[in-house]
Amino acid sequence: MNKLEQIAFDQPGCAHNTSGHKKCVHKPSGGESCAFDGAYIVLNPIRDTAHLVHGGITCGAHNYESRGAYSSGSRLYKYCFTTDLSENDIVFGAEEKLRNAIIEVHEKFNPSAIFVYQTCIPAMTGEDTEKICQTAAEDIQVPVIPVIAPGFMGHKNLGNRIAGETLLKYVIGTGEINRSLEIDSELSVNIIGEYNIAGDIWNILPLYKKIGIPVMAKITGDADYSEVAKAHHAGLNLMVCSRALINIASGMKEKYGIDYIEVSYFGINNTTHALKETLIYFHNRKIITDQFYFEKMEMINRMENEAWASLIPYKKILNGRKAVVYSGGVKSWSMITALTDLGIEVTAAGTKKSSEGDKDKIEQLIGKDRMLEDTSPKSLLETIKNTNADFLIAGSRNQYLAYKEKIPYLDINQERHTSYGGYAGSINLAKDLCLTLKSPVWETVKSSAPWENDLENIFKAAT
Amino acid sequence: MSVKTVEEVKEWINTEEYKELNFKREAVVINPPKACQPLGAIFAASGFEKTLPYVHGSQGCTAYFRSNLSRHYREPFSTVSDSMTEDAAVFGGLNNVIDGLRNAYTLYKPSLIAMSTSCMAEVIGDDLNAFIGQAREKGSIPEDFPVPFAHTPSFVGSHITGYDSMLKSILEELNQRQKKSTSVKGVEKTSLINIIPGFDPHVANIREIKHMLGLMGIKNLILADNSDVLDAPLTGEYSMYTGGTPLQDAINASKNKGTIALQKNSTMNTIKYIQEKWEDHPAFNLYPPMGIKLTDDFVEKISDLSGIPVSKELEKYRGRAVDAATDAHQYIHGKRFAVFGDPDEVYGIVSFLLEIGGEPIHVLTATGNKTFQREMELLLASSPHGQGAKVYAGFDLWHMRSLLMTDPVDMMIGDSHGKWAARDANIPLVRIGYPIVDRVNLHRYAVVGYQGAINMITWIVNTFLDELDRNSDDAHFELLR
Repeated sequence: MNKLEQIAFDQPGCAHNTSGHKKCVHKPSGGESCAFDGAYIVLNPIRDTAHLVHGGITCGAHNYESRGAYSSGSRLYKYCFTTDLSENDIVFGAEEKLRNAIIEVHEKFNPSAIFVYQTCIPAMTGEDTEKICQTAAEDIQVPVIPVIAPGFMGHKNLGNRIAGETLLKYVIGTGEINRSLEIDSELSVNIIGEYNIAGDIWNILPLYKKIGIPVMAKITGDADYSEVAKAHHAGLNLMVCSRALINIASGMKEKYGIDYIEVSYFGINNTTHALKETLIYFHNRKIITDQFYFEKMEMINRMENEAWASLIPYKKILNGRKAVVYSGGVKSWSMITALTDLGIEVTAAGTKKSSEGDKDKIEQLIGKDRMLEDTSPKSLLETIKNTNADFLIAGSRNQYLAYKEKIPYLDINQERHTSYGGYAGSINLAKDLCLTLKSPVWETVKSSAPWENDLENIFKAAT
Repeated sequence: MSVKTVEEVKEWINTEEYKELNFKREAVVINPPKACQPLGAIFAASGFEKTLPYVHGSQGCTAYFRSNLSRHYREPFSTVSDSMTEDAAVFGGLNNVIDGLRNAYTLYKPSLIAMSTSCMAEVIGDDLNAFIGQAREKGSIPEDFPVPFAHTPSFVGSHITGYDSMLKSILEELNQRQKKSTSVKGVEKTSLINIIPGFDPHVANIREIKHMLGLMGIKNLILADNSDVLDAPLTGEYSMYTGGTPLQDAINASKNKGTIALQKNSTMNTIKYIQEKWEDHPAFNLYPPMGIKLTDDFVEKISDLSGIPVSKELEKYRGRAVDAATDAHQYIHGKRFAVFGDPDEVYGIVSFLLEIGGEPIHVLTATGNKTFQREMELLLASSPHGQGAKVYAGFDLWHMRSLLMTDPVDMMIGDSHGKWAARDANIPLVRIGYPIVDRVNLHRYAVVGYQGAINMITWIVNTFLDELDRNSDDAHFELLR
């Protein structure tokens, strides 16, 4: 295990670490992607940077442009830059090629920073990617950041953590704020582990604006490099996906003394909880006045009530329905709360992509019996049938499988196109669930062709 | 050279000066329109009955292939991986193969396992032949269970090379089984013609070829036919194995009358193998039958090979395509096109455009070789409409963007990844190729054969007309177009 990987595993922010250092990170298992992918997912949304994948064509070409992390600024982050290694590069070494690639990217695009991903091939040929990045950065005077997360190292979740360590080591803490021009840093927050999938963060930021809490940095959804760099000036960290990035929060606590609280913006109750916890934190420390505090708490209540009112027509349709949920990290428990908000009963939740902490929360919400460790297609399908669930709510990998079995399905991961974050997103979620459930296509799908019924009747009549 | 500011870069990337620099780029590839070998390998394997594609290597890669194929076809796609990790990187992947084969065989009960590799196994230099042999000795799989394999590192070739290697390996493996079971001397030939579709992302192409051969009464065997696997009916029960070429038929494929491959570039080694090893078995490597002329060539070839004359029915079928081309030629004649994708498809599209007066200008492929470039240039030189074209083999979509911005065209034809360049250039994109992940059902429409010609005309012309209607002022907004 190299040093960074050791750090990624050895996570003081996780209570579960006591029983062995690997416990905290989700364990490798079949069918899911790798550490490189995990690192790329976390860092890629930093929109004004170039993401240079150093490896064979596989890693870059299969991933680019396909994640739904929206940007309101540069779209440079969507480009796939890759060294596309050839046989010669492996025989004679690719260090020079990487150096030239960094310079070419710099000269042709002038990104704020370049993230260089070391994938399986250069890791196995023993290339010193860190050194190349360091010298290149000196030459071009732009941050060139090595991300050492070759796929064979482990699972996607490990890659998430490595990305977190990379941000802590190379980015966070390198930027300064202009105190006369910028926000009150003592009262500001960072939102960590929110990638602006389908614009989620655009439903969250206005809420903080309304309650008068400035957001210093978004890590990493719709973020610029410079904002992540100055994240250490914030007063509080809001940790959204702890499974992925708890190490950023705990690292910043250790290094800069910034506290963190774990929050989620899926569902009305979770959103209210997140906003109120933020206010409570600053109020307890007398950073905000009593008057400010009570006014804003009242405002949250009003926003929440409005959201509940908008949900009424949807709840009529959804109340009493049953769902099987399979997602990872924060969504694995917060989606259960979000669905409960709508009157939906969660008959089972897949926990393969959940950390021990997530599992504790899931257990509290639905009990141990409904936790599904085996999330193979067969097990998911059987559970849906056995529990009479009305739909499957999961990531896109199970979408077509569900359809093949005539099961209504809703995507809650990165391939969805509607935001489910915040109050507005909770209404979107309710709406999409109704559309999924009430689609007339299921009638067509679930009924057999008319002649098949005729045949059955004839057969019955004859016997 | 001085580095520009972000705002300056925005303007600068559209200039001729930038284009020149862009084409001098050596170390970095930007927005590649290609995939890696194992993707092609598992695609080839998916066309055989009860066959489980198996990737020896890092599991991340396999997850990508599955999502990639699943997004294009909107179908589940089954592939297993033996998940090599850091230990395997040090000690080699023998144990992964032994355990992996055992699990794959017992859990998923396939009739054949087709093994390819990701680059991790290739950098270590894992010997698949030896590993599979040892797995047999250890009882992971029965002694005679077929495990054809192909070494498919991502740092050599592309998905079309991987397709070729895997298909060749499967055919070789299955063909050996025939020899074992044939006791009679000499081979009695059937009247069947083998058709190899190539790395063809449009499942309807296979159905169109079968339909055309049906109109001529020519019996055929598709090697390999994944149309029912990647376009399976919704029955309420998911099955991992929903179709594919029956293994017994593939075993006997060399006894058929001959073989025609419909994608020269993705079947080179397979056809070479058939030509060299299958006795008294003519095999041909064609460009895909796209447009009227290439379809005619295919029909002639198949008629020659089978000895069956072109039927009246097929002539009528052709006549309808020719009629459609005539009805619509005025909308395409003189229009300028950029075309990108895999070499065979690109060749087919260009050939089709030339015959109705479209003018290919930028013809780009990431995966074509020198021979392709030469043949493409010859085709362009043969037509007055091809004179303005330039062929770029081994380039990427950032090169394409420079071409579009400095030498504008009216339409781009290629896969979904082209949409950003098309948007920047403010031109429509007609989607043909792989992957198409932002439109539905296009893979269910043929682009080969006479019906394929009609489909391409429909898409291209109607896209132009939709643009015209949406963008014209009141005076030019007309009922008749």
